[in-house]
Amino acid sequence: MVRRVLGRFLQLLLTGWGLITVLFVLVHSLPVNDAQATERLADRLETETSAEKIQQAQQAARLRLGLTKPVFYISYAPVSQHQMRPAARWRWNGTHNQYHQWLNGLLHGNLGRSYRTEEPVSTLLASALLVTLPLTGLAALLTIGLSVVLGLWLASRPGLRWLLTGLYALDSLPIFVVALLLLLLLANPDFLALFPTYGLGMQDDETSSIVYLLSQPAFLVLPLASLVITALTEPTLQLVSALRHEAGLPYTQTARAKGLLEKQVLRRHALRNALLPIFTLFTELVPNLLAGAVVVELIFALPGLGRLLADAAATHDYPVVLGGILVVLAARLLTLALADWLYQLADPRLRIGIQ
Amino acid sequence: MKSFSFGLLALLLGCIGLTACTSQPDAPESVRIRWATDPQTLDPLLATAPQAIEVINLLHGSLLVGDYQSQRYVPWLAQSLPVVSRRDSLTLLTYTLRPEATWDNGQPVVARDVAFTLKVLNCPGLPTEYMRAQYGFVLDIELDASNARRFTLVCQSASQDIIGSSGDYLILPEYSLDPQGTLRPVPLPLLRTDTLAAVQRYPALRALAHRYRTSPPNKLPGCGPYTLTAWAKNRYLRLQRKSKWWARNVRNAPRWLQANAPQLDFRIIPDDATALLALRRGSIDLYPMPTAREFNRLRHSADTANLFFRVADSYDMTVVGFNTQRPALQNALTRRALSMLFDIPGLVQATQQGLAYRSVSLINPHDKLAYNDSLPLPAFNPKAAAGLLQQAGWRRQPNGTWWQDGKQLALGVSYKAEDSGHEIIALQFQAAAKKLGILVKAQPRNSELLKKRLRKGEIDMYVRTMHGNPFSYNFKPILHSKGIGILNYTHFQNAEGDRLIDAISVEQNTMRKAKLLRRFQTLLQQESPLVVLYFARHRLIASRRLSPTVQATSIQPGYDALQLKPNSSSRR
Repeated sequence: MVRRVLGRFLQLLLTGWGLITVLFVLVHSLPVNDAQATERLADRLETETSAEKIQQAQQAARLRLGLTKPVFYISYAPVSQHQMRPAARWRWNGTHNQYHQWLNGLLHGNLGRSYRTEEPVSTLLASALLVTLPLTGLAALLTIGLSVVLGLWLASRPGLRWLLTGLYALDSLPIFVVALLLLLLLANPDFLALFPTYGLGMQDDETSSIVYLLSQPAFLVLPLASLVITALTEPTLQLVSALRHEAGLPYTQTARAKGLLEKQVLRRHALRNALLPIFTLFTELVPNLLAGAVVVELIFALPGLGRLLADAAATHDYPVVLGGILVVLAARLLTLALADWLYQLADPRLRIGIQ
Repeated sequence: MKSFSFGLLALLLGCIGLTACTSQPDAPESVRIRWATDPQTLDPLLATAPQAIEVINLLHGSLLVGDYQSQRYVPWLAQSLPVVSRRDSLTLLTYTLRPEATWDNGQPVVARDVAFTLKVLNCPGLPTEYMRAQYGFVLDIELDASNARRFTLVCQSASQDIIGSSGDYLILPEYSLDPQGTLRPVPLPLLRTDTLAAVQRYPALRALAHRYRTSPPNKLPGCGPYTLTAWAKNRYLRLQRKSKWWARNVRNAPRWLQANAPQLDFRIIPDDATALLALRRGSIDLYPMPTAREFNRLRHSADTANLFFRVADSYDMTVVGFNTQRPALQNALTRRALSMLFDIPGLVQATQQGLAYRSVSLINPHDKLAYNDSLPLPAFNPKAAAGLLQQAGWRRQPNGTWWQDGKQLALGVSYKAEDSGHEIIALQFQAAAKKLGILVKAQPRNSELLKKRLRKGEIDMYVRTMHGNPFSYNFKPILHSKGIGILNYTHFQNAEGDRLIDAISVEQNTMRKAKLLRRFQTLLQQESPLVVLYFARHRLIASRRLSPTVQATSIQPGYDALQLKPNSSSRR
């Protein structure tokens, strides 16, 4: 059992490492955002040598950021016309490369510093996660709870096709449409101005963001609702389908024969078995909600991980982008491991099989 | 069904309950301004975002400041504009600081602070690469032994524009960053020319760099009118007016030394729709630069009772550039022909809802002296374009396409992918060109990749917005041959053009400078490396909670934060 868990963990770790390595190389093949500084400087071009000065400044800035080193252990160099052998195009750079430096930092718990602000990436990620984690965590809990309640209710009432159609319609709406609709319906002076329009209000004291967030629940209602509404359909419909399948099996017939009501049959007997295929969906919720949080945080002006990543990607702030991707990747791998564990917990046959 | 409805009702009531127990306290005297993005950093050495520069200018002070009304540099920390003199080939700028100017601890702002600032701008170990290049023309600073407030900047350039540039950096407090005065013996010329030798000879430089990097930039004291009291990243930033700001002691303080709002709250709301709802609900007071569509829609809505609307002619111009090094675009006649395929009045309506104005060139029409009004405005004329193409040597084939030396006239127009206005321009041009038999491909690109390809000259044509200013004319970066590979995206290389650009930058006589500018505009229209489609109008929507004296300004950010103040007669 321990060997299997360790093996699985190692497999996940290797997958994660492979992915982040590919992303590192891809991301670093894009240009760095120094155009804003260059344009600001360009307004001040005074002397004959200004063009060279700009180039020198750009080079010095790249040197400071460590961008003058090769990206990876090997690099691809353009071949001059007299060199015909393709092997000559590849060059070995040794450990003197950006990836090695970044990985070394990562192993020591250092994700580097933001190009834009020179702040440690870990600090930026931590403050963003203090908003995103409660938001996505609450959204995941609400989605699971609501989908189980709604699934049981719909499975016991086969006549409610209109509600199923409604859920399908909701599923077809992109999250930004749902978020904007909620905003225009429930935070609009022309309609219902029930909720705050944006942000988390003004926090004048030194309370931590997470405490403040939970003490100002009205700011959370619309972002949470957007995430839950868009995530609710899939697990609910899968659960309804699984419950209906279980309801036709002999053990549920026995339960009915004992005189239990349909609701009791589904809740006490069918639900545990019906949940098995849904676990994967539930464990995929967190990464999916993290992706949805990008849109929700932009629309409702919440200072979370999604917005941090969107801003960093727009300004080519690679250390922050990679740090954010690492967090999302870790969440994804952790939830996959969680799904494995939950399967074994819910289905004794799997445990016996492993032993 | 009954239980479902009951559950739904309970949920809704619960939500309303939550709303009721959530309060939104706001200081009654605060002015709340919408920002789309966070300033990210308030470090004067690192900041490039317009929001950061706006706040830094409210926290700190510079010797001079650009005044949008008079369209010239005016003295801020300096008592007056510098006295200009010559020493051989060098320009000397002698400044005297205002006697009233003090730091927060009551100490006066003196020449030593300016010298310290210039040394920090050149200090190794700090992110000063761009600052070093930007202010590299200041060779040395000479302090006046008899007057602690007087100093002379020794400058390399003969250009008239250095007067503004010599005074537009923020003055840093020596008492806070270097209380022991360890940088005083370090000569500025050595720092500028040989940083290695400077660090070896003066280890204090390393200590200062370490001190600067480890102290939070938002805690750095400034001599500006406001102090930063709160900054929640990506949420809000709050500035409080200093109770004892030195400029209150200035007799008949000019407009740029007056800070009207007791408190400025910058609220960061990335989404436009959310920001508009927040404005209409009274959660913010000022919405600078809404989209032209939303501005016009609200202006004609019932909200006019709560909001007022302002516009100002800006210096932000939308241009189309031609890569003059591309074989198909090397001939000026071809470029002029293609310029005639832009339906500019239609584009002004489609992209700016009419909130823009036209110009014959890069010079703003409001500069009556320099603007060459004898030149015709670019006109949409496909027939004349066909004639010019023929003159340029292009031959029309029976299938309607244009060929020269075995090559078809086919072009790509690149623009920033997220800019819908630029996309409209590219598509209108594509449609007009197609009718004339020219194959045009619209190419939306990522902003950074677009700039990289523009620098390398890998783009045929581009659409972009350029931000000008009323204080100086400097075409070196964008049209001089020395700007190729940096910001001269048209790769325009013309001996007469280079000569005129150089002459404009050093000419001190206003009339002669205007004459040179007029000649340069004529050359630009003949050579047509780029076409100015229009200058945008800055738009501003403000709550009636603010004093109606609020005006849109011609320069970024489109308003003057110092002039904002809550209306005394209205209560939130």
